[in-house]
Amino acid sequence: MEKKFEIKDLITVGVFTALYFAVTFAVACIGFIPIFMVFMPLIGPIFTGIPLMLYFSKIKHFGMITITSVIIAILMFITGHPYPIFIFCIGAGLLTELVLKAGNYQSIKSCVIGSSTFSLWLLGMVIAFFFGFRESYLNSLVDGYGQEYVDKMSGYTPTWVFFTMIAMCIVGGLIGGLLGAKVLKKHFRKAGIV
Amino acid sequence: MELGLSSTSDKSVKKLDPRTKLCLLIAISLIMVGGKTVGVEYILRVICAAIPFVLLLTVRHIKSALIYVMLLGLSVFCEGSVIPNISGAPNLILMILCGIISRFVPGYMMGWYTVRSTSVSEFMTAMDRMHVPYFITIPFSVMFRYFPTLGEEYRSIHDAMKMREIGQSVKNPFIYIEYVLVPIMMSTVRIADELSAASLTKGLCAGGKRTHICQISIKFYDWLLMLGSLVMIVLFFVF
Repeated sequence: MEKKFEIKDLITVGVFTALYFAVTFAVACIGFIPIFMVFMPLIGPIFTGIPLMLYFSKIKHFGMITITSVIIAILMFITGHPYPIFIFCIGAGLLTELVLKAGNYQSIKSCVIGSSTFSLWLLGMVIAFFFGFRESYLNSLVDGYGQEYVDKMSGYTPTWVFFTMIAMCIVGGLIGGLLGAKVLKKHFRKAGIV
Repeated sequence: MELGLSSTSDKSVKKLDPRTKLCLLIAISLIMVGGKTVGVEYILRVICAAIPFVLLLTVRHIKSALIYVMLLGLSVFCEGSVIPNISGAPNLILMILCGIISRFVPGYMMGWYTVRSTSVSEFMTAMDRMHVPYFITIPFSVMFRYFPTLGEEYRSIHDAMKMREIGQSVKNPFIYIEYVLVPIMMSTVRIADELSAASLTKGLCAGGKRTHICQISIKFYDWLLMLGSLVMIVLFFVF
């Protein structure tokens, strides 16, 4: 079981991170509509949970999911998200790593829980709307998207929404994980891929 | 054709160092996504929007450069003269659309340019020079190589689904997602296996220092561009 970390694992990381990122990006596109932005942490993990579960089933070594989280953090930073994204991404990655480790990288149950802990990184995307970042971020949005849009956005995001979003991430991740487990069972186990 | 990090070496055009491209990419996305549209930042935005256009011309992607300029021009035109004259829901939708285009498209085009004009070998060598550990560079290069393939796979699967008349109705999004995502995931697993087999034959697992034949060096104009992007970032944070 405890084999060395191989190049093969790194390639798996690369390919699945690309898939995960593409799905996340596709879902995030609907996040520009103000009301969906609030539910992003719920809707996102439901869809991304499916590829994530397949990825988890391929993970055999400590550190792979952490690398994924670092890569996502770098990509997100390059596409213009503020720096707290690093803290959230890497934190969520390490947490997921521990959860998966607890299940010895085999138990489906810990994979489902891992799916919900990993989706906590989405909070790093929306942190700009809350706490100390709120004012300056909303101001920077005004001339890009217009006052009307910003008013809508700030109306939807009082501070308590942030804590609801944490719950949304976890619930969405759980649903996504269960959905992913079901898909794996239905399609991949039969084909002998997992 | 669409194979991501392309290996075409065009000797007639001066090639930028991958590190310079990364510098520019970071500067452009920081400024375009977060910037305001007044004062000094407006000038920075104009410069940043122009960079991908010029760079695309230097690698002779004239068609994509023209599409890029038209898209950007259209959104600027809409922001300037259409949006103030309408109100209500159309205003909001147009505003968001234009906001997205003018914010994300320049960074996206720069990223596209970076991917298209850098070979995997160049990228790896440049990262090696920057002392980025290999467990970051390998997944990264695999990723950039895989993104265009993902698009291709998606299109083929979409066509296949169309032939069987699945996915036409939006009645049940979950069915559509299952029918598209599962084949993509299948091919992802297959491609991962194939890539690791390829890397095995190339001796990536053998350890030892990686050698290369591509020439990577930071030249005068690389320094110039890096300095330029640094100045832009500094200006961006000061103002």
